[in-house]
Amino acid sequence: MAVALRMFRAADRILFVGPTGPVGRSVRLDPEVAAALAGDGGGGVPGELLGELLRHRPAGPLAAADPVLEGTAAALGLDPPVGRAGRRAARARGWPVPSAAEREFYLRLGALRLRQALADPVETLLTLAREEERLERTSRREAAAAEQFLAGAEGGPAEYAERWARFREGLEAHAALLRDEVDRRARALLPNLSAVVGPRTAARLLARAGGVGPLVRMSSSRLQLLGSRRRPGAGRGPRHGLLLRAEGMEAVAPDRRGAYARSAAGLASIAVRMDAVDPTLRAERLLIRRARRLAALAREASR
Amino acid sequence: MRSPTPFAPEPGSPRLKRRRESPHDTFWTVGAGGPDAVYGERVLLRPDGVSLRLFEPGRSKLAAGLARGLAGPLPRPGERWLYLGAATGTTASHVADLVGPLGRVYAVEKSLRPFARLLATARRYPNLCPILGDARWTERHLGLIPPVAGVYADLAQPDQVGIVLANCAEFLRPEGALLLALKTASMGRDATPEEHARAAHRQLAATFDLADPIPLDPFHRRHFLLAGRAARGPGASGSSGPPLVPRVPERATSRPAGPRAGPRW
Repeated sequence: MAVALRMFRAADRILFVGPTGPVGRSVRLDPEVAAALAGDGGGGVPGELLGELLRHRPAGPLAAADPVLEGTAAALGLDPPVGRAGRRAARARGWPVPSAAEREFYLRLGALRLRQALADPVETLLTLAREEERLERTSRREAAAAEQFLAGAEGGPAEYAERWARFREGLEAHAALLRDEVDRRARALLPNLSAVVGPRTAARLLARAGGVGPLVRMSSSRLQLLGSRRRPGAGRGPRHGLLLRAEGMEAVAPDRRGAYARSAAGLASIAVRMDAVDPTLRAERLLIRRARRLAALAREASR
Repeated sequence: MRSPTPFAPEPGSPRLKRRRESPHDTFWTVGAGGPDAVYGERVLLRPDGVSLRLFEPGRSKLAAGLARGLAGPLPRPGERWLYLGAATGTTASHVADLVGPLGRVYAVEKSLRPFARLLATARRYPNLCPILGDARWTERHLGLIPPVAGVYADLAQPDQVGIVLANCAEFLRPEGALLLALKTASMGRDATPEEHARAAHRQLAATFDLADPIPLDPFHRRHFLLAGRAARGPGASGSSGPPLVPRVPERATSRPAGPRAGPRW
């Protein structure tokens, strides 16, 4: 078994080579590591140093997502115990990293990336929020179909009705658990956005945007229409997308919901930027502004 | 007793067999991943130990294309193919069957859940290499995907044609094959499916010699299969000069974090 991931060094940079060619771009070495390796021939870095290099990898979220470093970690995970003779022979050829078969490399790299992605809290929340949204849509459709069937068949077969009731009960319990989990995670990850638009809407906005970064970069007008299925045009375009489910929207008159969505989007875009910088709850002023806007809309409606 | 209908190999791909049946012909692939079914499809085990897997048009857009008269190009034994949007590996396993044990299928999938199942499928297939990643970012897969003889794409993205062109520019060999299962429902509602298919055909025709789009109704509604070969060698050939395949449009490359970041009208 041999890992088909090799590492080459040129001056202060290293390049990882997979079974078919370089994996990603080259990585700048930490100056300390580069100095430590200065005596090396430059053609390759001994396999034992991989761990050392990994410890010196650049810190921060970008580094963690770097496929090159993932590949390196995969190579470390793959590294099987080889005999002393095997190591000596490999060193003599200039490249001592033992490597696995090509397919094994892909399988392990895939499994590693999957594990990393699943452990990522943002990715988990994205997955859960999408699942929750899908479940809501599906259960609504299922319920409509079942009720139509039961009504059409004069109450429907008793067995079917009973099975449907059991299924629905289970589904609702599952949906409730899912909602709780989504809310909990959204409050932890996006506390300010959750406070302004509600945790579930915050999670859905995040899922639709694809991550915190894309959500932060969105303008508030884009945020206002995020999730809308219609295209804005010269005529009457959509006024809201997912923000129709924002907290406070239910108290607004139907013809003023677009106005509230606009205000909520402005507050949400500030809140999500606060969350991206530091995910601690400090949205008091935003909530005051939201309450003021809701009161103004209520006054308009009462006139 | 009536003797069973024989399996006739398709001229474009020897590991693809056609069986004359009523009311429709069925297509079968010679299994490369053992005798068990991958997703519950019918499997026939011949006395010589070769397994044949039913290639169902309702489950796979490539099979639907074959049922609607796709003439080629098809994956051939020993070839390397790039599969974009492999999902759980239903069609990818058949493509792996077609390229055989000496070929390779590099299957790129972005979503985690389908990828977990793709990984399980790939454990059975000696020639299926799963890659978790976004097909949009070709440079992230540079070291993992060699030049390939063909690209099969099944991407439910608004800019799926741009993504395919970018991948072809990077990985497809000169005169390589392209099979694109076009999902027009993902391309917006401001045009009919036929108009979307024609627009995609026009966009690809600058680089590929394409046959007319094959509608996949009734198996897959609002889907088309575009098939053809690169007219001239794209960038993956290593030839000098600029790549002949146009790069992915600005919109596709500049978007930072995948499909959900874009408008969803």
